[in-house]
Amino acid sequence: MSDTRMHHGSQDESPHPAVELQQVNVFYGNTLALEDFSLAIEQGVRVAVVGPNGAGKSTFFNLVSGLLSATRGVVTVHGHAPGQYLCLAYVTQASQLDLNFPVNVWDVAMMGRMGKLGLLHRPGEADRALVSASLARVGMLEHAQRQIGELSGGQRQRLFLARALVQEAELLLLDEPFAGLDVPAQEQILKTLDDVQALGVTVLFATHDLELASEHFDRVLLVNRRCIAYGTPQAVLTPKNLAEAYGGHLQVLNTAEGRVVIGDSGGHHEHGAQGQHG
Amino acid sequence: MAEWLLEPLGFAFMQRGLLAAVVVGVVCALVGSFMILRGMAFLGEALGHAVLPGLAIGYLASGGNRSVTFFWALGTAVLTSVVMGALSRTTKLRQDTAIGIVFAGMFALGIALISSIRSYAVDLTHMLFGNILGVTNGDVWLILAVSAAVVLALVLFYKELTVIAFDPVLAVTLRLPVRGLDILLHVMIAVAIVVSLQTVGVALVVAMLLTPAATAFLLTKRLKRMMVIATLIAAFSGVAGLYASYYLNIASGAAIVLACTLVFLVVYAVRGRVRPSLAVQTKSPAR
Repeated sequence: MSDTRMHHGSQDESPHPAVELQQVNVFYGNTLALEDFSLAIEQGVRVAVVGPNGAGKSTFFNLVSGLLSATRGVVTVHGHAPGQYLCLAYVTQASQLDLNFPVNVWDVAMMGRMGKLGLLHRPGEADRALVSASLARVGMLEHAQRQIGELSGGQRQRLFLARALVQEAELLLLDEPFAGLDVPAQEQILKTLDDVQALGVTVLFATHDLELASEHFDRVLLVNRRCIAYGTPQAVLTPKNLAEAYGGHLQVLNTAEGRVVIGDSGGHHEHGAQGQHG
Repeated sequence: MAEWLLEPLGFAFMQRGLLAAVVVGVVCALVGSFMILRGMAFLGEALGHAVLPGLAIGYLASGGNRSVTFFWALGTAVLTSVVMGALSRTTKLRQDTAIGIVFAGMFALGIALISSIRSYAVDLTHMLFGNILGVTNGDVWLILAVSAAVVLALVLFYKELTVIAFDPVLAVTLRLPVRGLDILLHVMIAVAIVVSLQTVGVALVVAMLLTPAATAFLLTKRLKRMMVIATLIAAFSGVAGLYASYYLNIASGAAIVLACTLVFLVVYAVRGRVRPSLAVQTKSPAR
């Protein structure tokens, strides 16, 4: 796995976990959103973050990205405090953006450079080359001049992946990127994620889709306020763990053709924890 | 035709008025572009009205000195936006509610102060509705200096202000100084409002901030182009409004705002209804 870290010239040779949480509590007012949360995610893996609505998936992402601080406990990203670590990209749920905003695909991708450029500096040739290469990698270069409201949902998600590449992110957080997308668009994004992961990027991907989690991810993180389980899909997606995460809302049936898991949440849109501090 | 255009320019007060109208219009259009993208229209309206007690106190304290009054108004606008922000952060009140409470209270305070001292009612009428033809040389220099400062700050921080307006979460993960840049934007809004008071007055300031920028927003899909078009519309409206005021004998501030509105209506008639979008229309809430 260590050979996948060569990309983006990380100076740090010590084997820090990509993300580490030690006994973290997060409160929203009087509500305990995450409780005694401990976890270490190794670098370069692709992790599906799953759990019921309001389980704290978005809270977890906000915490790792540095948008939110832990009430108690320690969070580190590649060994740094989240607010100090620059090589991190966070793609929030698309519904939070104004699609009429007067920017095109190229402009949005270039925004990924703003952190490294620094105040008062303008993008140069190298920055433009990086934007161009990143858009090409996700198949969006041909749409560079289109305004963001004119893109399909899948194209917009691929644009955000390109922007993450422009950020030279080593850790990529995707909050429900498949919400509202059809299957071909989802498959195209999974393919793009393969490319991204080949560069050594660690990917955390929130989803409701347990089948997706078990088939396309190296690791599964099962969350319901606490870290219920973290590991390979086979180890995590067990009836016992799922029952603990989903409680009475989930039925696990063992049939002759395999295990069937039936959840009642149905919806693909999680707004729970995200909306409470806006 | 030429004579029709040149005749008003023979008067020094018209020259100063035109210069002030164009410069103020440009500053407001630039700052206003970020305001409409961030859904800050109500904040603009509120700050425009909330400077009234600052104007009254500044006028009283200085015996009518314009530049002293200017800085009182500016200070009041900055203080008001800080208080509005604090009120919505420290309570569970929504931001628009906090803005409404503070602005109504400040406006009432301004009216109370004015009503208690009748002698300066005429000057303050000018502040409520603008008196662009009363712009002095000193006023012109003050307007030019602070406007240049605002434009410079906008050019320097354009890319960061754009990221914050479009995607605040990205701005945080890029470790941009979001809080400092937010304060900068609020100060720029305050400056734009206070320089507008001389031209269109408290009551109509918000039109200078919003209308040219909104008109340009309908015409283009690129932010830089939008800001250029907005400044052109604002400058044109300033000049056209003043000429209308000169020949039709109507209040100059109202004439300028009506010119902006007319341009908006023309653009709306031509472009407003044919804006196609494949995506779901999402209007971002006031922040």
